[in-house]
Formats: sequence, C-alpha cells, structure tokens
Amino acid sequence: MLARIAHELYWLGRNLARAEFTARAVEAVFQAELQGAADALPGVSFGSGGLLAMLDSVTKHVPAGAETLGRLTADAELPGSMLASVERARAGARTVRDVISAEMWEAINTTTLTLRRDGAAGWGAHAQPYVISQYVKQRTALIWGVADRSMLRDEAKCFLDAGGLIEVADMVLRMLRIALPSDEVEQADGSALILLQAVGGFHAYLRAGTAPPNAHPVARFLLFERAYPDSVAACVDSLHEVFSTADAGPRNSKPVLRVSRLAADLDFQRRALPDGAELTGICTSTQHELARIDQDVSERYFAGAVPAGWG
Amino acid sequence: MPAGARDNAAVGSDAIALSTEIYRPPTPGFDELFEHDGSPRPAARALIDELRRLGPEGLLEAGRRRDAVFVQQGITFETSGEDGPSHERPFLLDLIPRVLSGDEWRAIKRGLAQRIRALNHFVDDVYHAREIVREGIVPWRLVAGCPHFARAVHGIRPPGGVYCHVAGCDLVRHSDGTWKVIEDNVRVPSGISYVLENRAAMARLVPELFASYRVRPVEHYPQLLLGALRSVAPSAESEATVVVWTPGPANSAYFEHAFLARQMGVELVEASDLVVRDDVLYMRTTRGLERVHAVYRRLDDDFVDPLEFRADSMLGVPGLVRAYRAGSVAIANALGTGVADDKAIYCFVPEMIRFYLGEEPILENVRTYLLSDPEVLEHVLARTHELVLKPTGESGGRGVTIGPHADERELTALARRVRSHPERWIAQDVVRLSTVPTVTGDGSLQPRHVDLRPFAVFGERIDIVPGGLTRVAPSEGSLIVNSSRGGAAKDTWVLENGEEADRAGVGGFPISDTLPPALPDLRYGRWSEQQQQQQQSTPSSH
Repeated sequence: MLARIAHELYWLGRNLARAEFTARAVEAVFQAELQGAADALPGVSFGSGGLLAMLDSVTKHVPAGAETLGRLTADAELPGSMLASVERARAGARTVRDVISAEMWEAINTTTLTLRRDGAAGWGAHAQPYVISQYVKQRTALIWGVADRSMLRDEAKCFLDAGGLIEVADMVLRMLRIALPSDEVEQADGSALILLQAVGGFHAYLRAGTAPPNAHPVARFLLFERAYPDSVAACVDSLHEVFSTADAGPRNSKPVLRVSRLAADLDFQRRALPDGAELTGICTSTQHELARIDQDVSERYFAGAVPAGWG
Repeated sequence: MPAGARDNAAVGSDAIALSTEIYRPPTPGFDELFEHDGSPRPAARALIDELRRLGPEGLLEAGRRRDAVFVQQGITFETSGEDGPSHERPFLLDLIPRVLSGDEWRAIKRGLAQRIRALNHFVDDVYHAREIVREGIVPWRLVAGCPHFARAVHGIRPPGGVYCHVAGCDLVRHSDGTWKVIEDNVRVPSGISYVLENRAAMARLVPELFASYRVRPVEHYPQLLLGALRSVAPSAESEATVVVWTPGPANSAYFEHAFLARQMGVELVEASDLVVRDDVLYMRTTRGLERVHAVYRRLDDDFVDPLEFRADSMLGVPGLVRAYRAGSVAIANALGTGVADDKAIYCFVPEMIRFYLGEEPILENVRTYLLSDPEVLEHVLARTHELVLKPTGESGGRGVTIGPHADERELTALARRVRSHPERWIAQDVVRLSTVPTVTGDGSLQPRHVDLRPFAVFGERIDIVPGGLTRVAPSEGSLIVNSSRGGAAKDTWVLENGEEADRAGVGGFPISDTLPPALPDLRYGRWSEQQQQQQQSTPSSH
C-alpha cells in the first residue's frame, strides 16, 4: 500500500488512542483534585500539573488547575486537548476515506462535529470535563469496535492497530513515569487508585486480585500483565503481531526485530524482578525503545521520513 | 480600622442579607449550614456563595442530569408503600452537601469506635461468660427474648474476637448541637455504596461546590473492608478467598452487594454457588470446588443455614454453621450479632461502655423507655402524644409512630397494641433532628430533617470512612428518613482541617502533583511536515 496511506492510518490510530487516554486521565485527575487526600499512606503523585506537562510541551506554561483540565477537553487551541486529537484523527481519516469503511469515517466525523459543537458551547462550563471525557471514551470505543468489525484484516488494519498500540503503550508509560518519580519509590507505595482510573485498568486490576492497589503492584500490573490488553507488555506483544503480518520481510525488518526484542525483555524483567524492585528505570528504557521503534517504523514503511524531536 | 477589614465586614453583612433571601433556617432547631440568625456557618460560607451563583435554575439542571446518570448507571432503590408493591426509582441524591468540620468529625469518630468496641464485647460476652448479665446490668430475659439471639452460635469465638466487622450507627444531632446515637446496626447495615456513588456523582454534577474545600475522600472503603475481611480469614496461604454473599437480585440492596463485590474485586455469590463439604465452605467454579475463607454475608442470620436457623430458608447453605463452628470460614458480620442492635438492648449501651471499657460514653443515647416495666408503661402511655414509639423487631422505619404527628385515633389504637405486647415496644423522646437546606421541586431551598449513618470497618483496628450517609426526610417537618420510605440522601463532607474553608489557605493541590522528569515531546505526525523535514535533512545539492 502507499506509504502515505500507511502513515495516515498509523497516525489515525495514534490520535484516537491519545484522545481516549487523555479523556481517562483528565476525568480521573479532575475528580481526585476535588477531594482531599486519603488517610492512608501518601499515594502516587498524579495531578493536573503533571498531566499537562505530559500531554503537551506547549501547555507546560499553562497554569495547572480545574480550568485547564476543562480546556484539555474541547479547546481546539491546545494541541494536547481531546478535541485537537480528534480533529487530527478526522483530518487523517479524510485522506484515507477510501481505505477505512464508511461506518468508521462516519463515527469519527460525528464524534468530531459533536465535540466541536459542545466545545463551542463552552469547555469552561463546570461539569464539562466529566461529560466530555465520558463522551470521548464511549466514542473511541465505538470507533475501534466499528473498525474491528468492518475492516478487512490487511495491511491497512495492521497500520491502524499499530498506531493505536504504540500510543497506548507510550501513554501508559508517560503516566507511570509521572506517578512514580525516580528516587522516591518507597515513598510512593500508597494508594494508586487514581493511577488505575487515569490509565483505565481499575476494574481489571481488582478482578486480577493479586495485591492491594498500591503503587508498586499497580505499576507492575500496568507494565507486565499480558492478560490486560492496555498493559505495556500486551501492547508490545500485539505490536509484534501486527508488524509481522504487515511486513513484507519480517525476518530482516528492523522494527519487527526491535519490537520482538522489547517483548522478550519485558517478559524477562517480569520474571526476574523481585516484588518491590525499582521500576522507573524500566519505564524510561522501554519508552526510549518505543521511540526508536517509532523511528524505525517511519524509516522502513513511510519512505524514510525522519520524525522530529528525536535527536 | 484598616481599609481591608472594613471591606471584609461589608462583604460579610452583604452575604447575610443574600443568604436569608435564599434560605430560612427553621426556628427552633439546629441547621447544619446556617446559624440561628440566618447567616451561614463559617464552614459553609463558601458553599453558600457557590449555591447562590448556581441559582435555582442551575440546581434544577444539575438535578436533571443526575437523574439521567443514575438511571443510566442503574443506581436505583426499591420503594415500598405501607404494604403496597415496590418499584425501582433513581436513588434520590440531594445536591446540597452536609458539611462537618474536621474537629467535629474527630469527636464523632472516637465516640463511634468506643461504642462499636463495647458492642463487640457485648456480643462476645452474651455467647460466652455472660458477665454483664451476672453483674445485673443487662437482664437475661431481654437478651434471650431478643429475636436475633442465636443459640446456635453459643461458644463460638471468631478469629480475632471480632464480631461486628461492619457497623453503621445512626446518629442524630439535637437542637442544642450535640450528637446522639439513635440506633445501632451491626447485622447488615446498608448504604455505603450510596456514600461512594453520591460522592462520585457530586464531583461530576456540581464540581464547583468543591471549589473552596478540601473534602476527605471516601472511595477507599472497599479496600478497607477487603483488608478487614482478609485479616480475619482463617487462611494459611498468603491470599484468602473472600466472597460477598447476596440473597439475590430481588433484594432491595442488590445494587450495593454487586457494587461492593466489584469494588473489592471478589465474587458475588448466591446460596446455590456455595457448598459445605467436611465442614469446609467451597464455591462451585468452572474448575471445580474452590475453598472460601471469608464470607461477607448480606442476609440475616435466620436465612444462612436451614439446618440451624429457619428450616424453610431457600437462601441458605446447609452446614455453614458447622463450618463456622469448626473455624474454617470467617463470616462477617458474625452470626448472632443481631442481639447487640436490638432496640431494647440499645438502652444498655452506655452501661456496656462503662462496664467493658471502663470509659465514659462519648456519644449519648436518646432517652429510651423499656415498656416491659409496668410502671414505665403507664408513664409512657400517658404521654404517647409527645414520644416516639418503635416496635423492637422491625427495621427500616416500619411501624414507628411519632406521637406529636399522630392523631387521637392512631394513638388510641397504638396504646391498645402496646398494651397487648409491651415487651415488643420501646418509647423514645422525640429528637428534633437537625436540618440541612435541600433543593425542592422548583429549585428553591427548604429545610429538611437529616440523620447520619457513618460506616465503620472492624478488622485489626476500627476504621471509619469520613462522613457517611446523610439521610434526608422526604417532606417538610417529617422525621422519618429511611430511603425505603421515600427519603433522600446527601453527600457528607468532612473537611480536612478546622472550621474554615481552607483550600486557599493551604495552597496547592490535595493530591501530590509532581512535574515529571524530562519526557519526550509528543508528536503529531503530519505527512507534509515529515516531507519537509526530510527535505531539510537532505543535504542541498549546491
């Protein structure tokens, strides 16, 4: 398929996943910041300041607080807002309308238009972060569902999925790196409920039922638990699968090899690391590895376009 | 007088003028948010300002969103008429919270912990040495005559000696501002799921009300409960299997059972899922029988085991009491705890506290009359119009007659019923419950009477989630707050410190918020940009 089309699909996947994770994080942080701290140990740190810094280099200069969280929903001016991500997804989808199904295009288009309209009605309105986040979560789930049921399992679907997977893994790692600041590992072993809400594995974690929701077991779960589809390990595994399918020669393809090595690394670390071992190092190195994969993907599939920002 | 102070004074009097316009606290009586003179209490000032900004329209609009969200999420409650059919309706959450200062809460918390510890001692005593009876403090006929006294569990001591793992005492505030306990619930107190859901809903529907406050969170309750259940489970392995046992979806509190199971990440079981083999409790799973170490049961003693309690119970597990006696399974709350929350035993709780703990009660009882004493009976029957009469065997506000609200005919009929079985009744002084402003159908604020049910979890220690369920009477002047009788609820805010609305004072955010280490910038991946960059990175040809 055309490199340009593959590139657009890949970024369509990334933008959709980014919008969804932004929605989860904004809702969790917004709710948590309304209330005081729990009795127990100090939990993980995850507030609007960290969230903003994570989402956008531009918004790093915007003051943290409820209003900024509101802007992260539907302020088109902020590149890190849900609306901005969805707008980018729509712009991408327009250029690949012949590749994706009509249902999928409609789902993306409706989402963008509704969000634009409600955004214009005022992201400053108070209950908006909840309402809009909820909407974005539901709609992205719907878009992925439509894609799964209506798209042919071909290269196109592979690049769409690949974008989604790499973005999910990247977002989870970003949130983990904010929540578990280096050198403060012991201090961070309080409640990590907010992290689970922000990333989205709240129910899955409780059902897995291996340990109380403290920072450490939660971080391990989000990194290593293959049975949870949004964990980093599960994403990397699936990433390997889709690239192996899409690649013409997976045996000597740089991105495939790199992903395969990362998957093996994560599996090894899951087995080798004792409980309570420091995880920030792994988060950092995994995130860098994902960045290199992203670069390899650009070089191999998208006609060697060198991405910005990676020196 | 400095200019700033004068400005503040002016703002203050202005606020008073405006607040009387939106709400008039009842006189006499105690309002939780307003002083007698109609000015907001210090802790409520910022809240009242926000409410005024929101206005009746804003409140009604938020109310509409609330109903839609609750129906969508299935947060409902069954209502019943006196005997009529029941139906499901969205749980009634009033959008104006009740605010408690940190100091007030600390006193309540200490009082409750003390009371629950004493009740727990009492249950242990009743099924073992019966010291309190031998000392002549509690008459044996009251204990043995209590319908929830369970002979089947005589001599059984659960792990850690904890019987009342979950307790919910109903508190009311008297018109002089003091707190009194009006009822103890140590069988299967319900309502905690509404505390959590109410808070979540408030944060979603009216986040602006939180703006000036640091409200202590409640969402960790399921983890506290799970921890307590694990700590009492007789399990040698590291991880005990805990289940929540529900009578089934037809139960009025089924929503709560499912909620707790989901939040704790444990199985929600019904009787047909459980089986006892060789005095060990198992659940039937797809991989065969799996041992259960602790059961959080949400049904009454009467139904748990047809071999030991009611033989006609279809909801029970035969042999469970044998397993319990053998110590292979923990049951929370322990069987037989109903003896401690009987309305007749209630009168003796202050004595229990002195007897078992050697302390003076921190929270008082409401004055209560036991009608089994003929002299007291005559005294009470002469004053039925100024007392509350409650049947001891009922719960959920059924059968309660409030003297001042009843007419002559009702009182005569009541007197006849009481006289025929005086031991089944108690009388209490009327407590004028405190009021909180509540949103009415047209968006205006009116006083409604409220009580407070905080929830305690007793495992290795006693934990009480800040606040609890504030139940609201359905109509003006009504003193019955049970949700099964159409009552609503309010979110209960316990502030972190002192009296003042203090978010601004402390600064920063309640949850820690560190800036991340240098993260790579996000990329946006535009095709044209990539092409440009590629061209830029290609060396020019000249």
